[in-house]
Amino acid sequence: MLTIEALKELGVNTQEGLARCMNNEAFYLRLVGMGLKDGGFDKLEEAVAAGDLDAGFEAAHALKGVLGNLALTPLYTPVSEMTELLRARTQADYAPYIEKIMGERAKLLAL
Amino acid sequence: MRQSAYNNNIRRTILIVEDEYINQQILGNIAGEQYDVLYANNGLEALEIIRSLKTRLSLILLDLIMPGMNGYELLEILGKSDTLSRIPVIVLTGEKSAELKSFQLGAVDFITKPFDMPDIIMARIRRSIALSEDTYIIQTTQLDEVTQLYTREYFFTYARQQTDLDPDRVRDALVLNISHFHLVNEMYGRDFGDTVLRAAAGAISEYLRQAGGIAGRPEGDTFYVFADHRDSHAPLLEAIESAFSGLGSGARLRIRMGVCPGDGAAVELEHRFDRAARACHSLRNNYLENVAFFSNEMHERELYSERLIADVDDAIGQRHLQVWYQPKYAVQGSEPVLGSAEALIRWEHPQLGTIRPGTFIPLFEANGLVRRLDRYVWTMAAEQIRSWKDTLGVSVPVSVNVSRVDLFDPLLEETLLGILGEYGLTPEDLLLEITESAYTDNSGQVLRAVEMLRRDGFKIEMDDFGSGYSSLNMLRSIPVDAIKLDMKFICNITTSGVDRQLVHLIMEIAKFMGVPVVAEGVENREQMEFLKDAGVDIIQGYYFSKPVTPQRFSEIIKEAQAALRNGGQNAYD
Repeated sequence: MLTIEALKELGVNTQEGLARCMNNEAFYLRLVGMGLKDGGFDKLEEAVAAGDLDAGFEAAHALKGVLGNLALTPLYTPVSEMTELLRARTQADYAPYIEKIMGERAKLLAL
Repeated sequence: MRQSAYNNNIRRTILIVEDEYINQQILGNIAGEQYDVLYANNGLEALEIIRSLKTRLSLILLDLIMPGMNGYELLEILGKSDTLSRIPVIVLTGEKSAELKSFQLGAVDFITKPFDMPDIIMARIRRSIALSEDTYIIQTTQLDEVTQLYTREYFFTYARQQTDLDPDRVRDALVLNISHFHLVNEMYGRDFGDTVLRAAAGAISEYLRQAGGIAGRPEGDTFYVFADHRDSHAPLLEAIESAFSGLGSGARLRIRMGVCPGDGAAVELEHRFDRAARACHSLRNNYLENVAFFSNEMHERELYSERLIADVDDAIGQRHLQVWYQPKYAVQGSEPVLGSAEALIRWEHPQLGTIRPGTFIPLFEANGLVRRLDRYVWTMAAEQIRSWKDTLGVSVPVSVNVSRVDLFDPLLEETLLGILGEYGLTPEDLLLEITESAYTDNSGQVLRAVEMLRRDGFKIEMDDFGSGYSSLNMLRSIPVDAIKLDMKFICNITTSGVDRQLVHLIMEIAKFMGVPVVAEGVENREQMEFLKDAGVDIIQGYYFSKPVTPQRFSEIIKEAQAALRNGGQNAYD
């Protein structure tokens, strides 16, 4: 079940996320649930797979904002790194990033 | 703590423009505690809401990167609208690099992503709204609508701010004034008057862009300029005059300037402008110069004037103000005959000695105190006339001055008749002198007052005739019973052919008007003979007698009575 404790165990900075939500747990958890299902993950994956760095940057940048606000640190950190690489339109192998992100996301979604 | 117009009791509306639903919700949850929150998913949606609510929106929280219209594009559109640019915008961004561009486009603040803690966000929102509301109020009240220069209070606030921030800089206080501006308004209309003010303001602003300084229009046709010190600000006057001539009207527009130079910086700011204003005022009726500097001499004169004003009550109460009398003689008979007198005021000041009326009358005319002075003289003269009637059995009519301001006093008639009644006199006992220029100032009101007094039986003498600007047309119908030649004509009549010609001309005018002529300031036999030959009826001056005390005047009456008993004419029948 998606709980503060469970999130905390997976490395989410729940204190920060909750504070941003005026310490309204239900509200925070609802937003986290929505954030984990955000369409941006799929967009990001598809864009980098297709080598579309512009679309990749847009998707990463948007995701980064949401994940940061929810303080979903295990996702926020790799997405941030990707955002900076994509901002510079760096030709790189993004697969490990995607793998990492999707792995962390799956753990969280499994709650 | 400084007070802001920001009022917590008002529930304001703010707009969150953000394409990420989760971000929207987080911000809305925070702001919703104190504000009504509206949402837009992109610039276009936002613009629609902004255009319908306009300034009912207190604040916009704006994401930069959005599909459709992005945040920059929206900022640009808002910046171009006078109304919409008033709404403060806080930009939501995680990018340092976006801040400069956002500021340039008019954003007032930033909220970084990930968002700050709620109390910080609320503080930023609140501060931005308060600043923007205060700024709006200041902007709409600080500028004079006509000229877009500062209003009086803001001018002084900003001037003081400049001296506080940079106290070592030497600055000059300038006061500028347009000569006879009321005539410009009257003759060409208010719209043109406003155009003239704007032209002057434009030239001043242009000058200050190079010279450094600020300008305000505290009132009417007066401009205040607080400028970096220069030996001469003459180019400012030239710029204004050239702006005036650029208006292409026939109006003759002159600007004059009083300067209180910066070395008086120890003096308070308002005081420096008072001084510059006095320097400017000293140029009234000076058609040769248009710049005056406040000087120490001017300062001493001011102090002297203030002293006189402060001492008036004592002067009246303790009879330091005395009324003396100068006899007037009818000269057209074989012998000059004493017929009447003029009451003249003099001030025996216990510390300052004898003060000439020429020193204090203009001062009291300027501040209205002359009304008290006039009433005092009327009363003293009435008392004296009564006394001569009672002790010497004669009626000596006395001319007294009725000042310009008296003519605007609705109680004038009542006051004069009251004084006469108190001493059992009639209007024939007091001759009323009104200076010619009073007639031309505001002839409607003056003429009504004069006609009323004549209906009561008062005789009106037009004083200083020839010094004012009576139009020939006006002379035809002017209500007056005698004219009194301006002294200036008389002092030169023995040497100046032109002045002699002028006297003849004035005699012709008097004949045309059907009124007698009085000449004052006659000092010698030559002048007397000339004026008598020219047809002047009554003569007053040192040739016969200087102004004398009431006691001495009684002697003169007795001498005239004795001469009468010895076969002379009777002046008082």
